[in-house]
Amino acid sequence: MSGTEIFITIIRVGFGVFVPLSAVAVMVWMERRGAGFIQDRAGPNRCNVLGFRFGGLLQNIADAIKLLFKEDVIPGHIAHKFYFILAPALVFITALLCFAVIPFADALVLGASTYLMQAMPLELGILWFLAIIGFGVYGIILAGWASHNKYGLLGGLRAAAQVISYEIPMGLALVSLLAVYGTVNLTEVTQFQGRLLFGVIPMWGVVLQPLGFIIFVIAAFAETNRTPFDLAEGESEIVAGFHVEYSSMKFALFFMGEYIAMFVSSALIVTLFFGGYQIPWLNTQTLVAHARPVAVALMLILPAAAYVFARWIGFNNPGPAPNPAQRVRETKVYIAVVWSLVALIEVILLGYIVAGAGGAADRILVVWLQTAVFLLKTFFVCFVYVWVRWTLPRFRYDQLQKLGWEKLLPLALFNIFITGAVVVALG
Amino acid sequence: MAARVKQIKRRGRTFLEQLYLIEVIKGMGVTITHFLRNLRDNRNLYVRDYPEVKPEITSRWRGRHRLTLHPDGTVKCVACFMCQTNCPSECIMIEATERLDGVAEKMPARFTIDLLECIYCGYCVEACPMDAIRMDTGIFSVTGTSREDMVLELEDLLATPGGFAEHEQEDR
Amino acid sequence: MSEKVTLSVNGHEVRVAAGANLIDALEAVGIDIPHFCYHPALGADGNCRMCLVEIEDGRPPIVPACKTPAAEGMKVVLESEKIKKIQRDILEMELINHPVDCPVCDQAGECTLQDYYMKFDLGDSRMDVAQVKKDKRLDFGGGVVHDQERCVLCGRCVRFTRQITKTGELGIVNRADQARVAIFPGKPLNNRYALNVVELCPVGAMTSRDFRFKQRVWFLKKTPGVCHGCATGCSITIDHHREKYKDARIYRYRARHNPLINGYFICDDGRLSYHLENENRLETPLVKGVPVTPTEALDAVRTHLGQAKYPLVVVSPDCSLEQLYAAQMFCLEHGAKVSGYSAAAIVAGDGDDYLIKDDKAANRPSLNLLGIDTSREYLREALGHADLVITLNNDPFTDGADADLSEMMKGITTIACATHHCEFFDNADIVLPIASYSEYAGSVINSDGVLQRFGRAVVKNRPVPELLELLHALGGPVADMGAAWAGMRTAVAPLGAVDPDKIGEHGMRLEGL
Repeated sequence: MSGTEIFITIIRVGFGVFVPLSAVAVMVWMERRGAGFIQDRAGPNRCNVLGFRFGGLLQNIADAIKLLFKEDVIPGHIAHKFYFILAPALVFITALLCFAVIPFADALVLGASTYLMQAMPLELGILWFLAIIGFGVYGIILAGWASHNKYGLLGGLRAAAQVISYEIPMGLALVSLLAVYGTVNLTEVTQFQGRLLFGVIPMWGVVLQPLGFIIFVIAAFAETNRTPFDLAEGESEIVAGFHVEYSSMKFALFFMGEYIAMFVSSALIVTLFFGGYQIPWLNTQTLVAHARPVAVALMLILPAAAYVFARWIGFNNPGPAPNPAQRVRETKVYIAVVWSLVALIEVILLGYIVAGAGGAADRILVVWLQTAVFLLKTFFVCFVYVWVRWTLPRFRYDQLQKLGWEKLLPLALFNIFITGAVVVALG
Repeated sequence: MAARVKQIKRRGRTFLEQLYLIEVIKGMGVTITHFLRNLRDNRNLYVRDYPEVKPEITSRWRGRHRLTLHPDGTVKCVACFMCQTNCPSECIMIEATERLDGVAEKMPARFTIDLLECIYCGYCVEACPMDAIRMDTGIFSVTGTSREDMVLELEDLLATPGGFAEHEQEDR
Repeated sequence: MSEKVTLSVNGHEVRVAAGANLIDALEAVGIDIPHFCYHPALGADGNCRMCLVEIEDGRPPIVPACKTPAAEGMKVVLESEKIKKIQRDILEMELINHPVDCPVCDQAGECTLQDYYMKFDLGDSRMDVAQVKKDKRLDFGGGVVHDQERCVLCGRCVRFTRQITKTGELGIVNRADQARVAIFPGKPLNNRYALNVVELCPVGAMTSRDFRFKQRVWFLKKTPGVCHGCATGCSITIDHHREKYKDARIYRYRARHNPLINGYFICDDGRLSYHLENENRLETPLVKGVPVTPTEALDAVRTHLGQAKYPLVVVSPDCSLEQLYAAQMFCLEHGAKVSGYSAAAIVAGDGDDYLIKDDKAANRPSLNLLGIDTSREYLREALGHADLVITLNNDPFTDGADADLSEMMKGITTIACATHHCEFFDNADIVLPIASYSEYAGSVINSDGVLQRFGRAVVKNRPVPELLELLHALGGPVADMGAAWAGMRTAVAPLGAVDPDKIGEHGMRLEGL
């Protein structure tokens, strides 16, 4: 195993583990401030270190510290402590493992060897995802059962029933999708979506399989127990459902597990339906071939974006605050940081154009670019999760089951027939 | 006159509405409008920067209690126990004593309000025949570091000034 | 008064006792006629005019009910417009110069004037001239504080001092709106029943210095009880209350009507004896002066009982009948002698011919009934060779005359089951706190042989055991009240026919004592 190989493996695994974990922080922030803005309020914006609030991101650190130091209560009535402790770990780990098969950039070709840009370079792809995400709900059922609490048990049972109902339409939606792609390997799926339909439209899953997309997204919402399908939690009727007895870090594991699952779902939706890391009309070969102009374009776009961003910070950060001097100082620092980052990237890009263009450096630049695009798309889908949550109320339980069995299932089957017919017809 | 019947058309039964998706997207359109408006300019949020900017308290607000004084500085309370009798949370505890200064016959020796038990219903103010207890201090944030801090004695109650001038209370 | 007559009230037929006046007769069947001055013990005075009723049978149409005997076929009208107007007018007149200081008035809540105003009047004042000012907070002596402004001049207090105590300290002076109740200059209320005027007063004009401003009456829980102040055993109402975060305590005793014993009144000493129930109470068991847990104290007592060869139990004549019986059975079980000698409770010459007795013990007849020896000689002889003395709330030796008995006690192990601190009890080897009479249920027999039962009034935050329970815990055979009564009804002849559950609120006179 060469040095490069080890380095790239570390990068891949590091990406697969730390990106979802950091994404939790970003998503919690997005959820809180997003909810705030949707409801015409501010969201958490007070937590600060020396007056620096980072737009409310510090609140997450404060919450993390709080959860770490909170008393870890295991109620006396719990008979099976092992399962009680196992449950949150199960939810957390399965969510994390799912992300391992999702490619965040195209296969990197360095000399003779090819490296798949996913934490675990498996051929299983989507099958791994389906296997593991189904496991996650065991954690919830176990938590509900081990809590030895009626609300916990009800939450766990609801989660079980919900997952059974929605995994079927989800799987069937995937069947038609995979019939189109002809593979389960997610890297190949993404590469497929780099092509163009009729020479103009990117062949994204959402274009090829609009019905499958709708079914899959709805099922994915249900799988992640997000509103409007968060009946397992259902705080208004069963107080907090499966995690009613959990406190401190065990609760935090559930919490993080939920957000990681959401992130992974978003990543998968992006990979299956929105071309993954692909930039529309610019597939990997094109990018590698025109690396230098792309870099120049980047050098032009970045300062422009930074300018808009700095203007936005400058306008919104001071806000209607009672201590404007402090806020203005804070804003200046933020803007300075933004511009220094832009300057740093500009220098690197300039260095690349002047010295390193061609060969491996081109490919690495493309990997960076694709990773950025992938994350951008994923976070946008995450925002859709947040957006939906603060728009729709929760389903009633019978509505949930009716939707799953009476609407989505026939639709998914219908979709399979149509897709099958079209695929056969087109050869 | 016969009751007027107005037929309200039941909504949500057309095919398009039954599809849900269109309605969902409409709803999401509403929320994203709010989101984008506030993201672009956060100055219009319906938010008060509370610890720095104090809310405007009206004179009808039931804040922390106080005991009032006669214009000559003597205690108005005659320890009739009406507030204690009416208190639904039993947070008022009075001890009465003989009053010898000629203002009244009876006065409180101790007048204790346990703010941890108080539900701020204002029944004590309604019950008071002397207008001796009021909740017009405008104090809405009642804090303490111990349980004892939250127990108000006669002296604390008498020492708290009212939060409003008399003319502001005319609408009471 | 077994003879009944039928008359009609507001058109409804009722059967009432013949001969009684209309107020008493109709009250017995649940119809109230408002009145201030009439009191069954003081007779009809007819000065307040509040009880005026209409009678439709030829006689003057409006008569005072207190002066009108119930007669066959009478047609009484209580609710005609005319009567209602009279009631409103009288109330308005009473309230002309009334200070309406209910917030500071102790009577508020049990005030007749207040109740009638709410029931019959509810009118606003029409007065536009200055009120007549009279004296307030007058010290009438005897613990009575008088407020002339609140007075409705019913004269109950004046009649009480003239008819009942025959001391006549009070009188009504001046006329019209200047009339007021007063004492003669320099001659305050000076009798041992003075505080009854506070209770008699229908309004808040007479207040008790002892109870004044201590508590509002609507908070008080009212439990029937029996005064243990002397051998008369007057019926009382125990007014007690538990303030938030505090212990339950008694605020006052009031007389409870009992035709067999005390009528409508009690003496001041008995009325104020509630202080003894609140103060100086034993709360923790002591072994050699060291506080211990109840279990440890009981174990120590059991050890002593096991070792003693000649135990002696000294019971108190204040204990209830059931407790005395339990003590007697306890002694039988442990081979102990039992003495009821208690000369200290007798204050010679203190009694009078009305309610107060020389003997300050509440239940001495029960000792004789159960056959417990009360003679000094018996106790002295028993003390001579006793090696363990258990005293059940009896401190027989405070009196100087019994110094020789105290001398004999020295060197003998002493166990005191006591309600209150006193020198003798505090110096005992083991001290066990027990409940006092306001905290347990039981029966007592007064000096006239009237058996009364009373219930448990006060429940302390940390209740101490009742003597009956304590003796049972120490190996006594009597488990509870039911067992005590079952035993007594077979063993004690005069109690054989007594059903303890059928002793009424007035008690019953025991035959064959």
